[in-house]
Amino acid sequence: MDILAQLVVSGITVGMIYAVIAFGYQLTFATSETLNFGQGEALMVGALVGLTTINFLIGLNLGTLSAYLLMLPVIMAFGLLQGSIVEFLGVRKAIAIKSEAGWIMATIAIGIIIKNLAENIWGRDALKFPSPLAEASLQIGPVRIQPMEIAIVVGALLLMLAVELFNRRSIYGKAVVATANDRDAAGLMGINTKSVITFSYALSSMAAAFAGVLVAPITLTGASMGAVLGLKAFAVAIIGGLSSGIGLIVGGLILGITENLTGYYISSGYKDVPGLVLLLLVLSLKPSGLFGKATIKKV
Amino acid sequence: MKKLFAILGLALLVLLPFFITSPYYLHLLITIAIFSIVVLGLDIVFGYTGEVSIGHSALFGIGAYTAGTLLFQFGIGFWPSLIAGPLVAAMFGALLALPALQVTGPYLAMVTLAFGTIVQILINEMDWLTNGPLGIKLNTPNFFDWRDYSSFLPFFDMSAKRMKEMQYYYVVAFFLIATIVVINRILASHLGRAFEALRDSPIASDCMGVSVYKHKVIAFVTSAAFAGLAGVLFAYSEQYIAPNNFAFDLSIQFLLAVTMGGRKSRLGPILGAAIVVFLPNLLADINLFRIIAALIAAVAVVAGIFVAIKQPENRRSIIVPVALCLAFFVFSLFLQKITDYKLTVFGLMILFVVYYLPDGIVGFLKQIVTQINPALVKGHAVIDAKGDDAHAWTKVAPATLTADGSLLDGRGILMQFGGLKALDTVDLKIKPGTIHGLIGPNGSGKSTMMNVLTGIYVPTGGEVTFDGRAMAGLKSPEIAARGIARTFQNVQLFDELTLIENVLVGLHHTYHATFFDVAASLPRARREEQAARIRAASILSFVGLDKLANEEARNLPYGKMRLLEIGRALALDPKLLLLDEPAAGLTAPDIKDLVGIIRKIRDHGITVILIEHHMDVVMSICDTVTVLDFGHKIAEGKPAEVQANPRVIEAYLGGSAVAA
Repeated sequence: MDILAQLVVSGITVGMIYAVIAFGYQLTFATSETLNFGQGEALMVGALVGLTTINFLIGLNLGTLSAYLLMLPVIMAFGLLQGSIVEFLGVRKAIAIKSEAGWIMATIAIGIIIKNLAENIWGRDALKFPSPLAEASLQIGPVRIQPMEIAIVVGALLLMLAVELFNRRSIYGKAVVATANDRDAAGLMGINTKSVITFSYALSSMAAAFAGVLVAPITLTGASMGAVLGLKAFAVAIIGGLSSGIGLIVGGLILGITENLTGYYISSGYKDVPGLVLLLLVLSLKPSGLFGKATIKKV
Repeated sequence: MKKLFAILGLALLVLLPFFITSPYYLHLLITIAIFSIVVLGLDIVFGYTGEVSIGHSALFGIGAYTAGTLLFQFGIGFWPSLIAGPLVAAMFGALLALPALQVTGPYLAMVTLAFGTIVQILINEMDWLTNGPLGIKLNTPNFFDWRDYSSFLPFFDMSAKRMKEMQYYYVVAFFLIATIVVINRILASHLGRAFEALRDSPIASDCMGVSVYKHKVIAFVTSAAFAGLAGVLFAYSEQYIAPNNFAFDLSIQFLLAVTMGGRKSRLGPILGAAIVVFLPNLLADINLFRIIAALIAAVAVVAGIFVAIKQPENRRSIIVPVALCLAFFVFSLFLQKITDYKLTVFGLMILFVVYYLPDGIVGFLKQIVTQINPALVKGHAVIDAKGDDAHAWTKVAPATLTADGSLLDGRGILMQFGGLKALDTVDLKIKPGTIHGLIGPNGSGKSTMMNVLTGIYVPTGGEVTFDGRAMAGLKSPEIAARGIARTFQNVQLFDELTLIENVLVGLHHTYHATFFDVAASLPRARREEQAARIRAASILSFVGLDKLANEEARNLPYGKMRLLEIGRALALDPKLLLLDEPAAGLTAPDIKDLVGIIRKIRDHGITVILIEHHMDVVMSICDTVTVLDFGHKIAEGKPAEVQANPRVIEAYLGGSAVAA
């Protein structure tokens, strides 16, 4: 029983990371019906830039926690920039010529390039990321939990909440929502939908970079950390529904916990299987996702 | 012309090994042929149906590992694997395609990407079956044991020996040719037309009884089977397979090969496969790489200058690609160790191809040839079947009517979009053999009714009985199969198909040939095609478009498009034909022809529902008219009665013509 509780708790942590990455997919899918197939690499490069920044700040005799907090705005800005570049190079023209294959291949290509450059800059080995919080686990009831794991859950929720609030309350956010509802109509109302799409990509990569530095202290960072995370987030986005915020969190938790249970009770080698199985299952039973709304195409 | 190319290609394939002395290059040649099979198969999905698969490396790997495990675990060799590999890969293909293709959007790409990664992990983990990371060793296959015959046929020395590389090359070449032949036949058949039609207009496809979903699945499963076949050939060619032979990168290479070579052709994928196989060699040697980069830059500059002089208006759009080519050359000069940046170069190539060579090398060459002499590039196979009046019609099967003699009986149809009731509990009865008008001001729910009746919308409430059976829960293709055909208010033709091909898509239901009949070109398949062509030509001459049979539909003037839509709908042999504003945009003489056509359709026993704003048309040919306003039925009866109904006048003209 204790083991089960322990597995569930660490499943929640992983699940929240998946949810944040999937949140990034959702942001761009809403505005342009496209998504970044290199999202995992956006997370990876965010984490690595974060690593360099935090090491630099620690080198200036700052404490780990304050260095970590100072680093956050840096990598978020970096994520915004990186996402805009992806949109500019990979997506904009494909949307203009209405080529689905175009943006899929272009974002994959950019992902490959980013990963290759990261390998050349930071090397191929996994690197240790300094943890801003104490690494000793806390004993809460039957489960042992690292402070950083709590920070991951809180941080992930805060980020999604902040972006949602921004979208709902600010005028810029309303432009995003309007574009998401009807790109053509929004364009006719004077909204520059092109820059809204760019902005959604910027936000999406920012979320990924943030997820990267959240997860980095409890795992290791390295050029190959992104690919699998990006894939799992695909599964989460489809399981929860590409249009539902709650769906993402629930989907993330379902996947994170199932993976942990599979890993423990069956074999750690098969840990990645439930993602695909759940994905296919949800697509067969409820193609719009557990929480997604089925859209009616108008003729 | 095409035949000449085919013979040349065949001769090249047969003779090529004689010019290659190095075993290394012979092996590369075999690999190119194997990759070509995968890429040709991928083109069916990617080029024709427009879906993106990032899992073909996994399907390829499944084929290879089927061969590997059959040998490793059960001692079953090459020849049985050739059947098992494609079968197993096709099964996995179906497992992915059946759920993922239900929804439109990038789902297939997402699912196949996840599949690709997970298959690789699984092959690694399931070492009890696959020998895990250690991989599996194989030998080139044995020929059949023909020792007894070799005494008098010493030329075929096939005594239970292992094949030599050269002999194996011919085995692979045989399968490459077989792949090309099968794919050509499939694409020229009703299946191939369905693949192209569903891309041009998915909705019209569904309403013609050609299920988009089903045909996308067929395309993907076929493509998976070819990947599986290639996998088996690959396993026996490499003689050693390990999980990391089938990584994510390989899928991207396959996609790059299709795009770069040129979609929707046979030459393109083979060219692409050759480039992709040579790529690692190219990227292994920095000097060779620099030379090639220099060549590309030179070609780009020359082409750029050429365009700048010939088409000054396009000057700006070519600056970027030319600059990129030059930058690429400069980048190659600065590179010290190319192997470290192999993937970056690879990624840049993808970006370049996606944006500046979207139709691939073959497409680019076609464009140039078209500019020189358009006659050299043939877009469509010319179908010159002659039609006649007798073949235009088939006997309409007798319909089952409801108790009160209706062909179609809709009771309380409710269609709600959010808070808006586009149709508010409308009853609609259609008597057989009549022309039933459906009129009402804009936004009154006429087209919504059409969409409900043809399964595009699922009604919120109410039920519809047609031909004696309830239609609840049926999807558009099933409804079409039951005998309801339609045209669209905003014309939905298969733009890139010719007129006769458009009608042939409507005749899809007359084909009973299976995939294998078509692949083997059995008499049954050919007979059906012949019959359908005569029928299609006959229908075209009925709607007066026989002279334009081999013209692309998008080149038609608007009025003729509407006539073609009617012809295509007739091909479905419907019991009920729904015409959504057929006279919109037609000139007065065209309208006269249209009225004649609609009458003739009715006289052949087909019931018609007609939505129309031209009141003279409605009043002159309709037997019954139903009037809708804001989702309610406000009047029904003979045209003259309806015309005099004060509520109808109010709905059209406003005011309070009706006393409260």
